[in-house]
Amino acid sequence: MAAERTKNLKRIGLQVAFWAVLGILLLTILQNFINISQSEQLSAYDDDWNDMSAFREDIKDMGIETRSLVSSPLLLADLEDPRNTTFVVAGVERDTLSFPQFDEDGFITIATEDGYSPSEVDAIVEFVDSGGTVIVLEDFGYAGSIGEAYGVRYSGYQLYDTNFVAELDYNYIWMCMQVSPCGMNGTTLDPTTLDQHERWSDVTGPHPCSELDGESMTFKEAGLCSHHWVKSSGELGRIEYNATYTMLLNNVTGLEIVPGVKGALNDVNVRAVTSNQATVDVNGDGQLLIGNEQSSRTPDLSGQFNLSIEACASSSCDPDEGGRVFFIADGSSLINAIYDYEGFNNGDYGDKNGNYGDKPTKTIPANDNRKWALDVISESLMSTKDGETGQPAENAMVIFDESRHPQNALLADSYNTVYFLLVYFTGEGLAMLALFVVLFITFEGVLLKKRDPEPWRHIFSIIYYGFGDANRYTYYAKTEKIRQVFLSKVRNQNGLTRDEFHAMPAKELVSLIEDPVLAKFAIEPGKYSLEQSVALVKRIKAWGRR
Amino acid sequence: MWTRKAAFTFTGGIALILIGMMITNNQMMILGLALITFIVVNSWVSGHGDIEVQRTLSADNLYKGDDLYVELLVTNRSNRRTQLLDVYDNIPHEMKLRSGLNQMRLNLKPGESARIRYVLRCPLRGHYSLGPVSLRVRNTFNLGVEDMYVDHHSDIVIFPQIKEVEEAFLRSRTPKMYTGATTLRTPGQGSEFYSLREYVPGDPFKNINWKAFARTGDLMVNEKCRDAVTDLYILLDSRDVSRIGTVLKNPLEMGTVSAASLAAFFLKRRDSVALSIYGDGLSYLPPDTGDKQYFKILSSLAGVKPEGSMPLQAVTNSLSGRFSRGSPVFIISSCEGDGTVPAAVRDLVGRGHEVTVLSPSSIDFERLVSRIPRMSYEVLKLERQNRLTTLAGSGAQVIDWMPDMDLSQAIMQVRGF
Repeated sequence: MAAERTKNLKRIGLQVAFWAVLGILLLTILQNFINISQSEQLSAYDDDWNDMSAFREDIKDMGIETRSLVSSPLLLADLEDPRNTTFVVAGVERDTLSFPQFDEDGFITIATEDGYSPSEVDAIVEFVDSGGTVIVLEDFGYAGSIGEAYGVRYSGYQLYDTNFVAELDYNYIWMCMQVSPCGMNGTTLDPTTLDQHERWSDVTGPHPCSELDGESMTFKEAGLCSHHWVKSSGELGRIEYNATYTMLLNNVTGLEIVPGVKGALNDVNVRAVTSNQATVDVNGDGQLLIGNEQSSRTPDLSGQFNLSIEACASSSCDPDEGGRVFFIADGSSLINAIYDYEGFNNGDYGDKNGNYGDKPTKTIPANDNRKWALDVISESLMSTKDGETGQPAENAMVIFDESRHPQNALLADSYNTVYFLLVYFTGEGLAMLALFVVLFITFEGVLLKKRDPEPWRHIFSIIYYGFGDANRYTYYAKTEKIRQVFLSKVRNQNGLTRDEFHAMPAKELVSLIEDPVLAKFAIEPGKYSLEQSVALVKRIKAWGRR
Repeated sequence: MWTRKAAFTFTGGIALILIGMMITNNQMMILGLALITFIVVNSWVSGHGDIEVQRTLSADNLYKGDDLYVELLVTNRSNRRTQLLDVYDNIPHEMKLRSGLNQMRLNLKPGESARIRYVLRCPLRGHYSLGPVSLRVRNTFNLGVEDMYVDHHSDIVIFPQIKEVEEAFLRSRTPKMYTGATTLRTPGQGSEFYSLREYVPGDPFKNINWKAFARTGDLMVNEKCRDAVTDLYILLDSRDVSRIGTVLKNPLEMGTVSAASLAAFFLKRRDSVALSIYGDGLSYLPPDTGDKQYFKILSSLAGVKPEGSMPLQAVTNSLSGRFSRGSPVFIISSCEGDGTVPAAVRDLVGRGHEVTVLSPSSIDFERLVSRIPRMSYEVLKLERQNRLTTLAGSGAQVIDWMPDMDLSQAIMQVRGF
C-alpha cells in the first residue's frame, strides 16, 4: 500500500515537474510578445502625458483618416495607395517572433534583427518604395532593424548635449532642424544660431505650406497647413509659414549613417545634429570621461552626433518621386507632454503620477515638435491636384504602429498577439511553410482520426468457443493413467471395494483379468509404444463385455 | 458531435482562409469563410430528441427458442419537427432478429407517432432486458450528430425448453414410485369419488349430486378421496465444470432442460417437486405443487449460471434431512470433477431414496469444441464409464446422456451399469 502511494506521488511529482518546465518555456517565449508589467506608452490611442493622442487628434482634425496597426507591418503590403499613406513608428517597445528565413540564395538563415522580422522590414521597405512615408521615432528600443535597412544605425547609448533645457534637466535637449547646430546663450537657445530647415527653407521653399505663405483664408481652408494659420480678423487668418524648427527631445541617443552601406533609398541626409560638445555615455556608468581621462574602461564619446536623418528616393525628397523615411533619435518627441506642451502645462494630461487636472511641477517650454510633425504629414499627404492646395489627398491616411506597444488590458494585448501571429504566419516565408505543414497534418489528423458515429446494428453473438480442458489430454494418454483406469474397471466389474482390491494378491488379480496381455499390463509396469498403448486401450474397452 | 463531413468542412474552411491570406487571394478567403458560415448556420437548424417511447411485448415469459413480438411506439411530444432522428431499440446480443428491424430513421411532425415492429427469436434461456432506446439526432446536412437515449426498459424471462417425457419411461424400473397422485381412503381434496353426504352450508354448488337430490329430495354432495402426492427432488449441478461444450449444448443447458421437463411432467401429475441447484452456492426450492411452483422452478432455472465447485455430498448432507422418506431423487450432473458423487449417492440410497442420476456426457460435449486425441478420448470415456458403473453399483439408476440424444430417449435407457 505504502509502495503504491509512493509510486503515485512520484508519478504526480514527475508530471508536475514536466508541466512546470513546459510552462516556464512557454512563458519565456511569450514574454517577448506579452509584457504585462511594462507600462503602456507612446500609443496614439491613449491620452496620458506619455501617449500621442494629441498628434492623432490634430491629424484627424485635418481631415486625414487615422488607423492603427495592431498585428504586424506585414499588412503594409496590402495598402492600395501607399503614396498617400504615412506610417508612424514611435518607440518600439517589444521584440518580435522570428522564424529562420529563406535568404536570396534560397538558404535558410536565422534572423538576428530586433523589433521587426526581416519580412516585416521588407514590407516597410516595399511600402516606402511604393511612395509611402515612414516616421521612425526611436531611441533605445527595437527599431534598429528599420534603420539598418536604410544604412542608418541607432547607437543605443544615452546622449548628452550642452544644448540642454536648463529649466528641466540635462535629459532634455534642444534639436534644431537645420544643417548647422544651434547654440545656447546662457541657459536659453541663442536665436542668432537658428537657421532654416535645409529642404523647407524660404530659399528653396518646396514645402507645400510655403506656397500658401501670406495668403488670407479661413482656418478650414488652411487644411493641412492650419497649424501655420494665424487669426487676423473674424474668421479670416493668414498662413505664416516659418521653416525654423526648434524641437525638444528627451533621453536621446545618437544616429549615424553606416559607412559603406547602401540602404534601400539612394539619398540619405542628416537633418539635425547636436552641438560640438555632445557626449555619449557608452558604458552607461553615468560618468562622462573624455579626452585625457578616457580609457578602455570608459570608452565614452564626444563631439557632434546626428539627431535626425531623412532617407529619400530622390535628392529633392519630393513625395511624388518616391517614398521617404524620417529618423528621429528620440522615441518620445511627439508625446502629449511635449507635442501639446500648453495642454500639458495646463494639466490636461495629468502629471507623471497620473493625477489629472494637476499642473506639473515643471512646465515644458514652447517647442516646434508639433509644427515639424504636422509639416511632415502635410508634405506627404497634401493633394497635388490643382485647386486643392492645402487639402488632404483623396486616400490620405496615417497609420500608427501599435503592434509593438503593450496594451493596457490583457485581453487587448492577447487579441493583438493572436492577430499578430495570424498575420505573421500568413505573411512570412518559413512561418507560412510551418503553417502549411500544420494545416496538412491537421487535415491528415482529421482524415485519420475523425470517425462518424458507428451505424447501429444488432449483432446476434452467442457463438463462441466453448469451454474445455486441453491440458489433461496428454495426461490421459500416459500408460500409468491407462493402467489406473483399467484397474478401476476390474474393481468395479467385480464389485470390490478399494480396500478389498488393494489387499488382493497378484495371482488372484491375474485370474480375475483372465486376459494374459492385460494381466501383464496390470502387473508389470513398463514402457509401451503408442501403437501398443492404442492396442491396449482397445483391449481394455472390449474387456468385461464377454 | 461533429461528423466527419463537418470536420472536413471546418478544417477546409480554415485552411482556405489561411492559404487565402498567404497568397492574398480574396476569393479563396471568401470561400473558406462561406464554409465556416455554412457550418455555423447549419448548427442552428438542428433537430431534437424530445420524444416519448412505449414498448409492447407479446409476452413477459417465453420458452427457449420461442419468438417474441415487439412493438415500439415513438411519439413526438415537442412542438418542433424532430428532423432526422434515428431510433434504435437496444436488444440483447443473445436474441436473434427474426423479422423486421429494431431501428428506424424518422422525421416526425409535432404530435406525430410511428411504430417499429420486429420479431426476436430467443435461443438462450435467461433473464433479459430490452432497452434503453437510443436516439441519434442529425442536423439537416448531417454535419452534427447528437446521441441520447430514452431510459425505457422491458424485462423478459426466457425459460428452458420443456421436452415431452413419457410416463412409461419413468415406470420402467420402479413402476409404483412415479404414479403421481394416489388415492387415500379418507375424504378430502382429490379426484376420485369417496361417498355421498348431506349438504352443509359452505359446500360448493358444483359438488351437489343433483341425481341424488332428485332421488332423495335432500341436497346431497359428492365427497372425494384425498390424493396423496409423491415428493420429487431434483438436484441440478451448475458447477463451473458444467459449462463444458458450446453455449447451446453443454451439460448445464441440457440439465436445465431436463430439470424443467421433469418438473413439468410431475407437476402436471399433481406431484410436488423440489429443486436444488448447486454450484457456487446452494439454492433450494422446497417441494410444492401447482402452477406457482412450476413458475418458480422455471424462473430459477432461467437464471442458472455455471460457477463454483460445490461437491454433491455437501448438498446431500445439507438437504437429506429435509427429503421426504423414500421419495425419488433426480441428480442431474455430469459427475465430472466431483469425487464425492458415489458417496453422496450411496448415502441417499441408504436413506431409502430412489436415486436416478441423469449424467450428460461432458467428454462428448467437450468433443464439440475441442479436438481430443482419440486415445485420450477413449481413456476418458473408460474413466467416465467406471464412474457411472460405481454409481450404478451404489444402487442408483444411471443415465448416460449423449449430446445428440433427446431427453425421452435418454430416460428410456435407464439401466443398471
